[in-house]
Amino acid sequence: MSHEALVNLSERWFRLLQRLYPVDFREDMGESVVETYRDRARDALRRGGVLRLGVLWIRALVDSLRNGPGERVRPAVTWRRRGNWGRDAEFALRRLLRARAFAVLTIATLTIGLGMVAVVSTIVHKILIEPLPYRNPSDLYYVWRDYGPIVNVKRGGVSATDIGPLRAANAVIEDVALLQPMLGGIFAPREGGDPTEIAVTVITPNLFDLLGVTPMLGRGFAVNEAGPGRPNLIVLTHGLWNRIGADPAIVGRQVRLQGNAYTVIGVLPPTFAFQRQEASAPLQRIDAFIAVHFTLDSQPTTGGNASALVRARHGASPEAVASAIDAVGRAIDARDFSGRGLRLFAVGLKTDLVARARPALMLLAAAGALLALMLMVNLALILLARAAQREHEFAVTRALGASDVAVMRATLFEGGLLGLIGGASGVVVATWATRALVALAPLDLPRRESIQMDWSNAIAITVLGLMLGLLAAAPPAAWAARATLASLLASSAVRGGGGHTRLRRTMIVAQVAISLILLGSGGLVVRSVERLLRADPGFNPEGVLTFRIRTPPEFFPKPPDVVGFQDRVEQALSKIPGVTGVSATSSLPLTGTAPQIALRRPGAPQQTDTVDRDTVLVDAIGTRASYVSVMGMRIVAGRAFDAVRNDGRQEALIDRRLAEELFPNVNPIGATIPFGGRRLSLAYTLEPATELTVVGVVEQARLYDIHQDGRPQLYMRTEDWGYRPLSFVLRTPLDPESIIPAARAALRGVEPRVALGDPRTMTQIVEDTLRQPRTSAVVIGTLALGALMLAAMGLFGVVSSAVTRRRHEMAVRLALGADHGRILRLVLGDGALLVGIGVLLGAVGLYAASGLIRGALIGISPSDPLTLAAVALSLGLMTLVACYVPARRVLSIDPAQALRQE
Amino acid sequence: MGTDRARRTIDDQLPLRPVEFHILLSLAAGDRHGYGIIQDIQGRGDAPAPDVGTMYRALARMVDAGLIEPAARRPAADAGDERRNYYRITDAGRQVATAEARRLEALTRAARLGGLLSKGAKS
Repeated sequence: MSHEALVNLSERWFRLLQRLYPVDFREDMGESVVETYRDRARDALRRGGVLRLGVLWIRALVDSLRNGPGERVRPAVTWRRRGNWGRDAEFALRRLLRARAFAVLTIATLTIGLGMVAVVSTIVHKILIEPLPYRNPSDLYYVWRDYGPIVNVKRGGVSATDIGPLRAANAVIEDVALLQPMLGGIFAPREGGDPTEIAVTVITPNLFDLLGVTPMLGRGFAVNEAGPGRPNLIVLTHGLWNRIGADPAIVGRQVRLQGNAYTVIGVLPPTFAFQRQEASAPLQRIDAFIAVHFTLDSQPTTGGNASALVRARHGASPEAVASAIDAVGRAIDARDFSGRGLRLFAVGLKTDLVARARPALMLLAAAGALLALMLMVNLALILLARAAQREHEFAVTRALGASDVAVMRATLFEGGLLGLIGGASGVVVATWATRALVALAPLDLPRRESIQMDWSNAIAITVLGLMLGLLAAAPPAAWAARATLASLLASSAVRGGGGHTRLRRTMIVAQVAISLILLGSGGLVVRSVERLLRADPGFNPEGVLTFRIRTPPEFFPKPPDVVGFQDRVEQALSKIPGVTGVSATSSLPLTGTAPQIALRRPGAPQQTDTVDRDTVLVDAIGTRASYVSVMGMRIVAGRAFDAVRNDGRQEALIDRRLAEELFPNVNPIGATIPFGGRRLSLAYTLEPATELTVVGVVEQARLYDIHQDGRPQLYMRTEDWGYRPLSFVLRTPLDPESIIPAARAALRGVEPRVALGDPRTMTQIVEDTLRQPRTSAVVIGTLALGALMLAAMGLFGVVSSAVTRRRHEMAVRLALGADHGRILRLVLGDGALLVGIGVLLGAVGLYAASGLIRGALIGISPSDPLTLAAVALSLGLMTLVACYVPARRVLSIDPAQALRQE
Repeated sequence: MGTDRARRTIDDQLPLRPVEFHILLSLAAGDRHGYGIIQDIQGRGDAPAPDVGTMYRALARMVDAGLIEPAARRPAADAGDERRNYYRITDAGRQVATAEARRLEALTRAARLGGLLSKGAKS
């Protein structure tokens, strides 16, 4: 390449580097700089060739990197042309530092508002919107049975025999997998190791392929590894694998399940958080998978507790899927139920997963949207007020020659900078708040593990802050750019300047209205939760430890073995120092699991063949002798079970509702209820049973909701009927958790192969029940408080600026003889009027909103007067606080001084 | 009084940045363009040549302060006869340069008296 060509190439580089300089410098000196560099380039080539030219290139880069931005920040000359953004940034920063109160107010507003919006959007996005981490998750559906007129079960598990017909509908359905809980999961990582209880799900071998999941270690089940005579293979979830030591060489090792040896063939990845959905219970955790050991078609067709997961062909519409599954349901109804009306229906996987949480989440999203609205209004108000204050300054700047663009840019820059800072701090607050919220939330919150602030959300919120700042600064910027000295003098002399008063006043009214809606709803929810927290669950949870002991048929093949074992366990547990009472139950309160029985009404006069008239559906609960006293249940009539069984009769306890239902006019104590089936005699033989004898009436130990009774309850003795497994309950004046090791030791002494499952205190169980409502209360309460703060800040801004603007006017009035009190009333009265209108509008909105939240309220009506009074009071207080400082400033106006300053 | 006011204006501009002093030195000897100033400074030997960007910012500053002024744009021999922007020193610039030189001399004298510099020798 010739020298000249190289010099020309270098010039292109130098010219490019000039772009680092601000425009005005470039226009004045840029050409000269490039020319001088050309001369140096020519010189360098002549003296040292291409190498020296290269060095010059680098020096030019360094020079430009240093001087370009340097010139932007500290211009050599006051260029009067177009300014530059570096200097604007510096000025904006300096202005903000001088007006600290305004800056803090704006940033605080943004932090609170954006922080809350960020939390809401994270939660809603992660739970409702983000797709599940499976292959084509929108093609996955759960299938449930609807028993229609046969039995009152609208959503029931399927039977394994339903899978075949479902698979056969392969025009629409690609594959079907079966999931079923394994009863009892006594697991030991090796022979003779300490047994623990784990949750095992039995599956058809195609589940992992259906979901599109590959194990992290090893493999899943092969097609021929299912069915009778299948090898004992087990796939572990990542969580379980971690808990037993995270051995990377675990594939091929043997573990013990129910005492049998199982070979580990795979470990699932940590991102696999699949939980099994059941017909009527909450999400079930899964620790490990084993393959079905029966043929699907050999199972009973009638009842089912299995879940069927269907993958539809990609592209099949939900309607096509629904009708295909309905057709299969009708076929099954004809084949297995003599056409009595069984149906199948499908629910999308995600829909099913979030069904419980959806209403609460929609509410949350609505509240978040309201808050975002409030935020924007607030910001605009604050920035408008500030622009009004700086009108004077703008007009002077304009008169001195600053262009429209320069003034606008200055204001926009301020808004953008504040928005950016506010957005960033909002993200910080939201990250912490999300973590706190998830910790507080119910344990079965869907997708719990994925709810956290991630980078994309963080960036989105920060950018949102920036844009909100710019957006909110735009009207004041445009307005200020038009401000001229003439208009300024004209307006300040008369009204104290500042247009757009109506806009500002409307915004304040809107803010107050929205605050009222949020506060009102929040207050109602909080009081509703308060009710829950004070509810009496029907037993005394303090000082009670509970744990489950499964008695698998492998270890206890016959009913006498089970009952004998349970007797020995109760004896061993009662010997633990500090334990004052031991009993057991088949259905622990607040855990919502009890089989339902249709009890025949005693002496039912007509056999009408109608299910409802002849029988009562009850929850059947089996307990050991001293359950009522250990749990602190209340006896209404009669007594609890005898300490010793009586072979002549089978004792039963009924609750108050059942007493009224079955024995409306008769004393229930001593009465009998017809009851078929087979009972265990004292000699542990199976005898036919005919009836139950009621020995007492008790208050319910609530199974489902903590604040109200559920289905009527029937308590029977476990020893009569061989209930298993049982949850043992121990009462102690000590801290219940402290006796867990002693309980484990006692159990080991009786039977070392059996595990102490899921030890918890009853207090913890009660707490867990209350997590969901408590979380709702915290969330809505916080949102409402945030809204109140935003409204207060907005009101403060408006009233404060009104005072500033109208100083002249007020000074004149004072000079003319008005007293301070009157002026105060003038200014504050204005503010109060705005608040009043806002309250009225908000009340209308609240009335509308109360229809929406009625479903979430417990024991409190949406028009609860106490709550509304509290809300009105807090709004009034807010107004007072917001107006306090401006009011003081009004009172301190010295008319002579104020007039002199004009 | 007029000279007092003038001196006050001159004193306000001291001390000069090194690059500014060098520029005035070069221009005192005659009109120069950008690269010419750099070559002068290099020729003087003591200070390294300033970066082009730094120098032009200084030139802008000094034009604004009235110490130098742009001269006619004309072809330069050492630039392959391409046209270049020339600069010329003003009377005010000359006065300021002289004042700065005097200030530096006074400082050097003080340093010699104080023993930091040996008399007459280059250290």
